Amino acid sequence: MKQELQLQLQSYLDGELSGREARQVAALVEQNHEAQSLLGELRMTKAFLAGNEPEVTVPESREFYWSKIEREIARAEKSPASAGSGFLLAWRKHFAPLVGVALVFFLAVGVVQHYDLSLFDGNTQMENEVENNSEFTSSFSFRSHPEKMFVVWVQDKSAETVSEVDLEIMDEVEDVVIQ
Amino acid sequence: MRFAGVFLKKFPRCLLLFLVLSLAAPAWAEDIKVEARLIWGTNDDKSPDPSHKSVDKDLSKRLGNVFKWKNYFEVNRVNSTIPSRGTKKLEMSKACTVEITELAGPKVEVKLMGKGKMVNRTVEVLSRGNCFTIGGPDKNETAWFVVVTQL
Repeated sequence: MKQELQLQLQSYLDGELSGREARQVAALVEQNHEAQSLLGELRMTKAFLAGNEPEVTVPESREFYWSKIEREIARAEKSPASAGSGFLLAWRKHFAPLVGVALVFFLAVGVVQHYDLSLFDGNTQMENEVENNSEFTSSFSFRSHPEKMFVVWVQDKSAETVSEVDLEIMDEVEDVVIQ
Repeated sequence: MRFAGVFLKKFPRCLLLFLVLSLAAPAWAEDIKVEARLIWGTNDDKSPDPSHKSVDKDLSKRLGNVFKWKNYFEVNRVNSTIPSRGTKKLEMSKACTVEITELAGPKVEVKLMGKGKMVNRTVEVLSRGNCFTIGGPDKNETAWFVVVTQL
């Protein structure tokens, strides 16, 4: 039997043919035994499937069931957005970098203070004021870098001059200021 | 152009950060712990006053490298905490007092008072490891020193 005829029989059984086609197939089946037997098998198979197909039913109505799915999808889409939104999102976007920079700054200041790393080495170290406040004394100041010492030497005005003063390493002395 | 755009976009934040840090900076002004020592320098091996102790080797070496005396004896030592932007008077002896003020910078103002009268005023950066010394000649070829250090 041709495959085309087999398909026509299947369509005839499912009621998918037009009236004229259905009548032609019915006439053919009456005359053709092979077609009759195939149609019988198809009917039997269809009846068997229809009678034994398990019918699964949900406890809720169809609308309620789908609305539940919709709500669950909406909830799943909303939850990650809400975690990263609002204050936390603004915090992460704007303030976290600032906090990071501020922490680095505070850390640097802390390290400088802890290890006594002078931020103002050099010229600023020289910025000092020495004021002689007695009419009976004179003073001069100097800095010894090797010994990390700033010295103010105070003596009676009647005493010796700077060159005679009791310093051992005047040649190493820097920025002497006489008052 | 892209750099300019990024700069203009970030500039307000940078400015804000700068202002915050600028405002916060004065908050770091803190009390400082100082140690003031009255030291007597001499070429004698021993001090006539048995209560005088030799200064530690490090300071003795540093003083010896700057001044001509061989030995340095500690007459008195005063430790104190100078409050931020505050002043403390430290009595080193009956005749000698130093008045220390903590200033911005960080600097200190040290006033040397002899018998109640101000003799000298010095403003100097004081930091750990450095020392500030006021000294002068004394009788019999000796000398006195007030050494101020930050603890």
